[in-house]
Amino acid sequence: MQVVLSLALLRSLRRTLLLGLALGAFLFLVGLSYSSVDENQIRSLVESLPPALQAFLKGSDIASPSGYLGSTFIHPITLSIMAAAGIAGGAASARDVETGVAELMLSRPLRRTSWLGAELIAMLVQVTIVAVMGLIGALIAVTTVDALAPVSVSALLLTAIPLWLLFAGIGAVTALAASFSRTGAKAIGWGTAFALVAYALDYLAQVWGVAEPLGPLSVMHWYRPATILGQGTVPGSTWAVLVGVAVVASGLALVVTSRREVAP
Amino acid sequence: MTVTGGGVPTLSRVSDVAAIKASGLGKSYGSGVMALEGVDLEVGQGERIGFLGPNGAGKTTFIRCALGVLRPTEGSIAILGHDVAHDRLAALAEVGYVPGDLGMIRQVSGGRMLDALAKLHPRPPVLRDQLLAALDLSDADLKRRIREYSTGMRQKLGLVAALQHDPPVIILDEPTAGLDPVMQARLLGVLDERARAGCTVFFSSHVLGEVDELCDRVAMVRGGKLLLVRDVDELRRARVRTVELLFDGDVSPSAYAVDGISEVRVEGHVHHFTMAGDPGPLLARLAPLSPRDITIEAARLEDVFRALYLGNGD
Repeated sequence: MQVVLSLALLRSLRRTLLLGLALGAFLFLVGLSYSSVDENQIRSLVESLPPALQAFLKGSDIASPSGYLGSTFIHPITLSIMAAAGIAGGAASARDVETGVAELMLSRPLRRTSWLGAELIAMLVQVTIVAVMGLIGALIAVTTVDALAPVSVSALLLTAIPLWLLFAGIGAVTALAASFSRTGAKAIGWGTAFALVAYALDYLAQVWGVAEPLGPLSVMHWYRPATILGQGTVPGSTWAVLVGVAVVASGLALVVTSRREVAP
Repeated sequence: MTVTGGGVPTLSRVSDVAAIKASGLGKSYGSGVMALEGVDLEVGQGERIGFLGPNGAGKTTFIRCALGVLRPTEGSIAILGHDVAHDRLAALAEVGYVPGDLGMIRQVSGGRMLDALAKLHPRPPVLRDQLLAALDLSDADLKRRIREYSTGMRQKLGLVAALQHDPPVIILDEPTAGLDPVMQARLLGVLDERARAGCTVFFSSHVLGEVDELCDRVAMVRGGKLLLVRDVDELRRARVRTVELLFDGDVSPSAYAVDGISEVRVEGHVHHFTMAGDPGPLLARLAPLSPRDITIEAARLEDVFRALYLGNGD
């Protein structure tokens, strides 16, 4: 398992570091920009926006330091970078089947569950590295921008955990899709579709009354960084859903992979 | 395992169990296509067997079933007595395998890939240095990333990875693809050496010359079915050859008539005909006739292969 894990990490190292640097730089720059923000102007601007646009903020008060920084955790750039890490990591097993690497590995005395387990751990490590590098960027901003001083560092750390869990879950769902797929592209497609549908469902539930009851069906519904930053706690339901999605999807992926064929 | 005086590791048989034994092996895909159908094949320990067939005949499917990469839909297959469906890890611990479509992690160096694959196998990589030398892979080559390798170098790396553990059963799926003629010859030399050391060599190929040179038995498949399993020599003997004789004067074909001769054509003093089977009796009849020249086309496995496939054509 360690052999497969180290190979999986080695080959994804450059991509992971680039994504981490990009996220760290983005969160730092957004944090840095808060010094130029006039709270009242921002607040009145947000209030003048139609509800459909306000919904993108997921109810956060972006004029406040914690709301402003929290909004970067739901910014499409942050979500896209984290999704890229999770989905690319989750699709690795299908890519290995496609390229014949899985056949090469599994024609050695190696359990399929060990092989996929290593790929799942590698995905978690990749998501962790990107999230931590992003967090470092945000922490640098918090500690260097005076206007962000009210933001609690511990709350910021706490906010990164659901972000990590959310995309670990999306990576695990992609790994589940990969266990049914013979090509990496197909697995990436399913993983991306899952993330986009989750995002769209969460958005629709906020702006359209008819879709509101469907909101909890989206994994994104349980991710509220501004609330965590403001309250300093992660709701139990968030833990349960995000951990549950990651664990259940990983478990199913292991079961499916133990029975699948791994020829290109 | 023992080591001979010449430093060539040899394998001692643990029992008389077959190296590879397929019983009624079948594989169908969801579309209903039967990739393999009722294949019964037994390969003894220490045997070198060529696995022949045209594209899509089921060669790779058979091999993948033998390795547990694909799951047979009927029948069973065992490696050295270990049923692949129930005891895959024990079966694979006895095998060195080179896939036809060799997948490598391109971002890592060749050396790291070899080390990683070595760690996945319970047997130590005792033959690595010897194989690297035989296949011309230097330390500098191993330090380069696999993405920089040519197809032939990747193939050589795959061969070293498969054989470095000195596995008792070697399964190769078109292993010479991408290798230049010199390397092909060296590989056949390495395989011959391993076979002489007691390893079983299961060699799938379209290149009949290689099979002819290396193997002592061939199995031919077509359309997922096993057509035949024969000794190479037996196939050669059974082959129909073209014979040309030149006499100094007029000679009647009845003077050298033996069983197996047909399609006799006489053009002046030159006689042409085809002959099936052993040429010994013909040569005995020709001796007193003192022909000036005799040309008997060499028996090639390729002709046998073609004749068999044409003879069994739809």
